[in-house]
Amino acid sequence: MIYESTLYKVIRYVFLVLASIFVLVPLIPLVFMAFKTGEEYSSTSVLTPPSNWFNFYNFGYALRVGHLIKAFLTTAVILVISLAIQILFTCMVSYVLHRFDFRGKKVVQTAFTLTMFIPVVATQTLVFRMMHAVKLVNTMWSVIILYAGVGIIGIYIMLNLLDNVTKEIDEAAWIDGASFQYTFWAIVFPLMRPACTTLLIIQGIALYNDFYIPNLYLNSNVQTFTVALYKFYGSMSTPFEIVSAAILIGMIPILIVFITLQKYIYNGIAAGAVKM
Amino acid sequence: MNKRLFSAICGTVLVSSIFSACGGGNTSAPASNGGNETTAANASASTSSAGFKRISDIDTASLKGTSITLYTHGGNRVLGEEKKDENGNTYRDESYAYLKHLAEKFESEYGVHVDLQINSTEDDIRPLLQTKDPGIDIYTSPNWSIEEWQQYAIPYCTLDEAKELYGDYASTMYNDGKNVYALMPAKTYNNAVVYNEETIKKVGYDAIPTTQAEFENLCQALRDAGIDPIAMHRVENWPLSTINDFANYVAGSNDAYPSMLKSDEPFSESHPMGKTIRMYTDWKSRGFFEADTYTDFGVAMDVVGNGKAGMMLFGAWVVPQIQGRCPEGTDPSVIKFAPAPDFGKGQYVMAAAADSYAISQGCDNVDAARLFIEYISESPEYLSDSGYIAMKKGVDPIVPDLYKLIDDAVAAGTCKVLYSYATDENSINNENVLSEANLLADVKYAGNLFDALDVTKDPDWSAYDAQVEKQNKAYVEAREDLGVSWQ
Repeated sequence: MIYESTLYKVIRYVFLVLASIFVLVPLIPLVFMAFKTGEEYSSTSVLTPPSNWFNFYNFGYALRVGHLIKAFLTTAVILVISLAIQILFTCMVSYVLHRFDFRGKKVVQTAFTLTMFIPVVATQTLVFRMMHAVKLVNTMWSVIILYAGVGIIGIYIMLNLLDNVTKEIDEAAWIDGASFQYTFWAIVFPLMRPACTTLLIIQGIALYNDFYIPNLYLNSNVQTFTVALYKFYGSMSTPFEIVSAAILIGMIPILIVFITLQKYIYNGIAAGAVKM
Repeated sequence: MNKRLFSAICGTVLVSSIFSACGGGNTSAPASNGGNETTAANASASTSSAGFKRISDIDTASLKGTSITLYTHGGNRVLGEEKKDENGNTYRDESYAYLKHLAEKFESEYGVHVDLQINSTEDDIRPLLQTKDPGIDIYTSPNWSIEEWQQYAIPYCTLDEAKELYGDYASTMYNDGKNVYALMPAKTYNNAVVYNEETIKKVGYDAIPTTQAEFENLCQALRDAGIDPIAMHRVENWPLSTINDFANYVAGSNDAYPSMLKSDEPFSESHPMGKTIRMYTDWKSRGFFEADTYTDFGVAMDVVGNGKAGMMLFGAWVVPQIQGRCPEGTDPSVIKFAPAPDFGKGQYVMAAAADSYAISQGCDNVDAARLFIEYISESPEYLSDSGYIAMKKGVDPIVPDLYKLIDDAVAAGTCKVLYSYATDENSINNENVLSEANLLADVKYAGNLFDALDVTKDPDWSAYDAQVEKQNKAYVEAREDLGVSWQ
């Protein structure tokens, strides 16, 4: 058993409290603003609590005028399809790179690694022109295709996990007459589930919060949640009390996912942790 | 399947997935070129003498059932004005959605659907314009350079054609001396004094004074009464560009901005620009601008509407928006528009073409786009509701009430009209010099000076004066580097 000194405990609690304040303080004005009327918002400080905590007008207005339900559905469709493709391809690519030697393997590995050093923004002019040429701009497929790409972080996570899945399992299956596809689908892929969960969480949250790609590729007829949120921002004025309510609504799916998948998140992150 | 074959297939999939992107690019090239050819053809047709069509020249029957997409930064004319209900909650009053109503009327008359899209900033539409995306047909104009207009917009008509229909105002539309790139179908008065009559009455004034000294007394009286005299919304940079018009009033001519080229000290008090920036900064030191920061321009308009601030120094376009934001139960007509006071050279007001519409180079339904823009130019009610005056030859204008005070002053001869300086070599060169001196973006030439004065201490103008010297030096160096001078 490890004994902590009182001083250490005090320091630990002080740091934890400070960290909590650092995270929670920005949320306080957000919650306050979401329940304020427009009049209250423009006449009181952001740190002044609302006069009526049961004023849900802003939430209803945000859902109705911002078409947030439609935006959530669009976001969900994009995430489900793109994450399914991305995770599947990441598993396949990682399996091949980990288990097989073939001519050009180093080149492929290096190509994937190089993508880490190229900022997304740097390639967007060319990528946008390509999407435009195949008439995918303003369709959700443009975003799905861009999100579905295999990333190096996902490959590292999978390779790390595959280090712990002994190759003898594959060989035993081959001796029993299993094909390479069967070995991958029936034996290795199920064992990669913890890493898949990790990738799902990391990429799911990143893509849900992404603004740059959907704003660039989608117009207001097809928009994700972040773009729908941005549409409240006018060139002249922005009703921040409505935006605050919309942001709180946007946090609900993340909270639900976190609460329901809490166990998998902790286990997944531990199991799929990257050794760099 | 053996291991070698499986690896080969997987390898092929990986490599082909990399090259498929290149292939897409290659195969897309003809399509893209084809698109450009179509666009070039459209552009060519539009610049030919037969290209500029009036409604009577367009085969409207053939356009029935088609649609066009219009991107605008004026969301209030699509969604309605943002107002507060009796409980203080924000809502959109759709009766103010003038562009939406006009598009519906247009569709019922011509059978062409207008899809209205709102962009928060001009950068939102830039990728679509750069790729000549057919998803954008018309856009309301951002404040871009002539080069960008040439790059993204089809020339709407020649300058001569525009002059024939819009008179001298045509020169103030976005043009390169030959072609007009955005039609501006209305005229307006630019930056002057937009004020709440009820608010200034509280401190004993019935109207905006006509002299600078009296105007400053009014501001002081408002400040003493705990009311922000002028809502400027300094937290953003663009409101500072109103200084350009006020510099013209100080100069008593319309060339204060381009005439900076003539001076070696454009930011000193010897030049109208420098004198005006100093006047604004002096007003700041005396507390004439808002003490608190407004989170956005909507709040700045709200405070004038609800009487917490006395006035704004903006153009006619802001009047209907403030009127739409007046609290329930108050008379919106208390928001009035008056000439700026006499700063030593008389009372003036700037007049210019207003409300611009451009056709994108990617537009694949140019006739329908032209039809809608021409339809706008012949809709005096829509332009009036927006705060402007229709000015196309043959169209009976409806003059919004907000122009009355200025029109009366002009008619009485106490206020003179200055037409906005047309885009010419001098104005372009001055812009280039400011850009070269790193003073153009974000209106730094005014903002850097305005912010140099620290009003939290006793006004100490030494930092301001040092900034003046610095900017004068940078301006002259940039002018010499570019080798330009007043022509």
